[in-house]
Amino acid sequence: MAATPQDMLGARLPRKEDLRLVTGTGKYLADILLPGMLHAVFVRSEYAHARIRGIDTSEALALHGVVAVYTGIDFKDTVKPMPQPVVQPNLPARYPTFWPLAIDKVKHHGEPVALVIARDKYVAVDAAELVVVDYEELTPVLDPERALEDGSPLVHEEDGSNEIFAMTLTGGLTEEEQQRNADAVERIFQGADIVVKERFRVHRTGITPMEPRGVLCDWNDADGLTAWITTQRPHIDRLALIDLLDIPGEQVRVIAPRDQGGGFGVKAPFYRENLAIAYAARALKRPVRWIESRYESLMNVGQERDQVNYLEVAARKDGKLLALRNRGVADNGVGTTGVYWGFVMPFLGAVEMPNAYTWEAGDVRLRVATTNKASLTPSRAFGHFPTRFAIERAVDMVARRVGMEPSALRRMNLVPSLPYTSVTNEYYDSGDFLRVWDNLMAQVDLPAFRAEQAAARAAGRYLGIGFGCGVELSGVASELLVPMENQPGYGAATVRLDPRGKVLVFGGDAPGGQGHETTTAQVVASLFGIQASDVVVTTGDTGTTPFGSGSIGARAGSYFVSAVAEACGELKDKITRILAHDLQIEASVQHFEFKNGEVVYLGDRSKRKSFRDAVERIIMFPINMPEGEVGGLEYTAFFEAAKPMICFNADCCIVEVNVDTGDFEIRRWVTSEDVGTVINPNIVDGQMHGAIVQGLSNAMFEEFVYDERGQQMSADFEHYKLATAADVPDIEITYATTPCPHTPLGTRGIGEGRPSSVPGALTNAVCDALAPFGIEIAELPLRPNLVWRKLREARGEG
Amino acid sequence: MQLTEQIRINAPREAVFAALNDVDILRQAIPGCEAIDAVSPTEMTATVSAKVGPLKARFSGQVTLADLVPPESYTLSGEGKGGPAGHVRVSSRVKLTADGAATLLDYDVKADIGGKLAQLGGAIVEKTARKLAGEFFASFNALVGVPESAAEAPPAATPAPVETSASHGHGHGGEHLPWVLGGALAVLVIVWLTR
Repeated sequence: MAATPQDMLGARLPRKEDLRLVTGTGKYLADILLPGMLHAVFVRSEYAHARIRGIDTSEALALHGVVAVYTGIDFKDTVKPMPQPVVQPNLPARYPTFWPLAIDKVKHHGEPVALVIARDKYVAVDAAELVVVDYEELTPVLDPERALEDGSPLVHEEDGSNEIFAMTLTGGLTEEEQQRNADAVERIFQGADIVVKERFRVHRTGITPMEPRGVLCDWNDADGLTAWITTQRPHIDRLALIDLLDIPGEQVRVIAPRDQGGGFGVKAPFYRENLAIAYAARALKRPVRWIESRYESLMNVGQERDQVNYLEVAARKDGKLLALRNRGVADNGVGTTGVYWGFVMPFLGAVEMPNAYTWEAGDVRLRVATTNKASLTPSRAFGHFPTRFAIERAVDMVARRVGMEPSALRRMNLVPSLPYTSVTNEYYDSGDFLRVWDNLMAQVDLPAFRAEQAAARAAGRYLGIGFGCGVELSGVASELLVPMENQPGYGAATVRLDPRGKVLVFGGDAPGGQGHETTTAQVVASLFGIQASDVVVTTGDTGTTPFGSGSIGARAGSYFVSAVAEACGELKDKITRILAHDLQIEASVQHFEFKNGEVVYLGDRSKRKSFRDAVERIIMFPINMPEGEVGGLEYTAFFEAAKPMICFNADCCIVEVNVDTGDFEIRRWVTSEDVGTVINPNIVDGQMHGAIVQGLSNAMFEEFVYDERGQQMSADFEHYKLATAADVPDIEITYATTPCPHTPLGTRGIGEGRPSSVPGALTNAVCDALAPFGIEIAELPLRPNLVWRKLREARGEG
Repeated sequence: MQLTEQIRINAPREAVFAALNDVDILRQAIPGCEAIDAVSPTEMTATVSAKVGPLKARFSGQVTLADLVPPESYTLSGEGKGGPAGHVRVSSRVKLTADGAATLLDYDVKADIGGKLAQLGGAIVEKTARKLAGEFFASFNALVGVPESAAEAPPAATPAPVETSASHGHGHGGEHLPWVLGGALAVLVIVWLTR
């Protein structure tokens, strides 16, 4: 291993996880087999909106090997309906009532209607085909704006409205304050030199983890329920199972497998399928497993964005941005998922609308409509993909109107110093936006590009440059997470030292491939002066780990490793207290160095002890201790920053557009990132690459399509196209970091919101290339056919 | 989903109309037909099995006829269920015109397809629809038509008002057909059309 322990923080260490992952010895949910395990298959609705006249399960039950078939009514009196407080945000909304399976009515194509349990998966699949559901088709609700009009058919009839959530995010809490604010914003618009006004539409797209969802539940009367779930938040799932199934808390243990093939938000909600499987395992007293198919996954989860934003921006003719006014309408889908309900993502997207710019005022409102589509589920860049596309495009439109370079206009309007509170009341704790921006511009020779662009245009070729930037949450503080998801934001870690000088770390979050074992080990190794290979990290088991709200919102680099660092600090205190006692010196932790596997007294370097011996002495030989000390070396720390924290990034993209075909090619993608103190550059680079590729794939290829009857037409990878390596450019990542002053190591949580500045930067570049045609694009996906259509319109051929 | 088409059948109009009402002929001509029964003069049920791409399904359908003007025209509406494979809902207008000794059969169809079938996508569905329709009209012509050189005559392609050309029988003719029809739909449409 090349890195010495002292260099461990910031070392490009190979990931600890990768040996098992690349040698096929990872252990995923589907690799866990229990004796006597049964297999579950869900029968799902083939209609977007239909009344269930009857369900005939007799043929399915008669098939040899079938153990049970459940329908909605089996749950109605035995499982509590959602919503329940454990999975309900503290935000006022029309929370739909629902059970694990549809009752009376199906509300989207793919909704679970029946559950078949059989001795193997093949029998279960065959039996599921024998379940006959008699449907009476109803008019589906598919357009979010029309869904909010009077007289629209209703998705949830008992709610009396399709408006699941509405909020004004600016001006204050009362309608009076909000109106006063709206009037003030209107006055700014009246007096502004420039007003840009546009309808921005972002399609339904999101994320498709390599491993779909799954759950394996085991029940016995002595110990209760053990549930292995592909989940980002095992502790929340545990509480939900306790509350909804009415099982005593000590009888429920949830384990997120150590290896999960990605989460990206999709595995963060509490899903009705998990509840149904847990119910069946308890009822049958047998292990029951459900593994989601790709088809089911694309039908039901990973769908996000899908929003219209009517955005107006007021500016001065010197380029100063003055005010923004936005009316967002989001397509929530059916809203039957725990924790998020579909609308929590658009809510945060609206909060993050002002981005990194200073505004004198803003009037930001959001309405969210239920429709007969799958619920929006969290998808990396939680909520702000559509709002950021709108704002980044609008900024470019202002620049074009005032005749400024978009990059110069951005720099002029970036928040110049932090902390800062946005017009939507979002707190930006720390960082240096201008430094990040200047670093980006240092990577790009803009005058040379403009010269090249002019020469190319003269030769009939169209080059364009586009910029974008993004403020992202670095972890989610309790201050925001309690109202938004009814959960705490703190990070928690238990650090246990082993008599042989090794370190075991336990965390309640549940990563899905981000490399947390490696980054955590590097943090521990750097603090104890040992090797990363001496550290073992266990995550995701509620039976062994402290409570954590889950692997969400970039919590690892911000909250979790900070808790780890604090726990290590406590243990170092104890080790040095006892070592000083043994050495008969007056000294405390700052007088010692933990280095190269030793603990060294700085006042006399001959006074030293190996880390292993120092640890073993305290754990195994707790005699002759200082007064008041007891043996043992284990500590659980809870970390919470006083305020929410952020990270910041900027993108530059250069494209060439073929104005005959509308095709375009990304010639360069360069970034500038403030990610705080870097623990492992390989992993940070990987997060950025993955996020940018996701942003490009969402913007250019991926789209969940529903037809005019609400049939989901993109439930396989032939119809839901993902970017491949050949579709994306080389990505140049550069850094302009500032340590976060609110974490012990200066680290920031990164990677979660990162895709959101990508579609704006890309579309800005295409529009810059097409500036001679006066083309401004305000919709996604950005594909050659759209560009070609815009070109035809601009040439009067449309 | 809409389709308009014209088929030329080598038999007089009255014979074609009668054959379209003859469940024995239909049972023989419809690929995969397992049962077809007239419930009343204007209602019938049918069961047809078909393989569309990876989906093998048995469809049960029922059809209602209206606006009957023998031997010229009628309209039909129907619904078919293919269990886990999906469902279709169809409405159609059929018109027969004498063309010398032969008959031109014009039809237009509006169809809604749902479930897994709908998700298979154009390429597979189109291919199946083309194949099944070809098989049906080949059989129908063989059963009803004049069995001589007329059967070798080139297809009477008439551009239709919508986005369509025409074709019929004899294997895989109709290379220009813009079939937008689901495979199962094709089966059901044939059932219903040829009532």
